[in-house]
Amino acid sequence: MSASAGAPLLELIRVSRVHGEGATEVHALTDVSLQVGVGELVAVMGPSGSGKSTLLNLAGGLDRPTTGQVRIDGRDVAGLSHRGLAELRRRKVGFVFQDLNLIPSLTAAENAALPLELDGVGVRQARASALESLGSVGVAELADRFPEEMSGGQQQRVAIARALVGERRLVLADEPTGALDSHTGESVLRVLRARCDEGASGLLVTHEARHAAWADRVVFLRDGVVVDTTGAPPAAEELLDHPSGV
Amino acid sequence: MSIRQGLLALLAQEPMYGARLRSEFEDRTGGTWPLNVGQVYTTLTRLERDGLVEVSGRPDAEGRIAYRLTDAGRAEVTRWWSTPVDRDSTPRDELAIKLALAVTVPGVDVQRVVQTQRTATLRHLQDLTRLKSRNDPAGVPRHELAWQLVLENLVYAAEGEVRWLDHVEASLARAAVGRREETRQRDVREADRGDGADASAEGHPGTSEGGREAHGIPATSRRRRR
Ligand SMILES: Nc1ncnc2c1ncn2[C@@H]1O[C@H](COP(=O)(O)OP(=O)(O)OP(=O)(O)O)[C@@H](O)[C@H]1O
Ligand SMILES: [Mg+2]
Repeated sequence: MSASAGAPLLELIRVSRVHGEGATEVHALTDVSLQVGVGELVAVMGPSGSGKSTLLNLAGGLDRPTTGQVRIDGRDVAGLSHRGLAELRRRKVGFVFQDLNLIPSLTAAENAALPLELDGVGVRQARASALESLGSVGVAELADRFPEEMSGGQQQRVAIARALVGERRLVLADEPTGALDSHTGESVLRVLRARCDEGASGLLVTHEARHAAWADRVVFLRDGVVVDTTGAPPAAEELLDHPSGV
Repeated sequence: MSIRQGLLALLAQEPMYGARLRSEFEDRTGGTWPLNVGQVYTTLTRLERDGLVEVSGRPDAEGRIAYRLTDAGRAEVTRWWSTPVDRDSTPRDELAIKLALAVTVPGVDVQRVVQTQRTATLRHLQDLTRLKSRNDPAGVPRHELAWQLVLENLVYAAEGEVRWLDHVEASLARAAVGRREETRQRDVREADRGDGADASAEGHPGTSEGGREAHGIPATSRRRRR
């Protein structure tokens, strides 16, 4: 699906993240390298506590690595000022957080339009894009409802619409199908897949194999380390080099 | 072919004769896949013909012949552990048999076996999803709908396999914690009594020494390695 011809849109180079110090030190992520090309959707799977959210927060510039480098669209996140980073996030990156993060005092349409408005897009234009995005995940009719007037699954779809609104080039989604039934979950994955086929890049955390299977590549984390990936199967020569396969 | 692979995996532990191979196989797979002695002996004969096993020493007092792995047999066992179960050419049971043996034969990196299988199953799931994504779920003609439902059946089966693998991994992790805790409590008890030197004389919970003695092997020589 996704021959990433040019530079990857997202690149993690030997990234580690240690929380705390001394006796309470937690190695949330250790020496992780990962690239997401233009048009590519990558899924991350792993048990609870394996570092998936940590990885996503680093990839979106919400957190900084202890060592290693995170590059978004060719730029080292560590080299950006607070303002530069905020702007990069606002313009290029869409997030779906594990806890959704919808603003309770805004309607679905206002929530979905927020990233564009913060970026200086006119209200009318922002609302039009928000409605389109809500429509793409099947909740156009909820545009004027507030979060507390929606079911968990509906809120989830609004959060996804917000992440996809406008021209986000990098979509980071943490368990975006958590509260959705199998049909709705699948339709969300179809939307995400279509966005990537149109040229966006996606990083998706999920514990559901059927959802991860929409990705071009599945990366498996355990204890903060990448233990395997479904990347292209090894070439025949490589197998011959290591006849035992281990 | 899982009987063949299963017997080889058991022989990697130590040489055994046919009747014992049969009972070990049944023990470890909870009697879910009963074998008859005939099957075991024909399989052993073929393995010997293929150069994977050989007779080990002389027949015992009762005339039973034990077999052991050759180098080629050992290589075959290693290959089996490091290769995912192939879903096209084997009965689906092979995966369950394989994991049942992996957790009981010493020296197998079970996590690795689990992950290798999980990656292979995810690849299969990706292939199925690619087929699925060609059709629009809404408004498909009847025969396409039928095809979609067949694909979904395969997707659910593969998904179930991944969930089971997750479960296996979580159970192993819990068992490891349990063993550590058991050891810790035993150490504490012994420290209390001040006779830690005696620790190895205690029986290990969960192994049926009686059943083992019945196969003519002293229980002590067969205690599971830790
Ligand atoms: N701010 C923090 N301070 C200390 N430890 C943290 C912090 N954030 C995360 N951790 C630890 O880092 C590890 C990885 O956490 P992370 O949230 O990335 O896991 P996860 O894979 O997303 O898990 P889940 O599937 O439960 O969401 C965990 O052990 C967690 O306790
Ligand atoms: Mg998380």
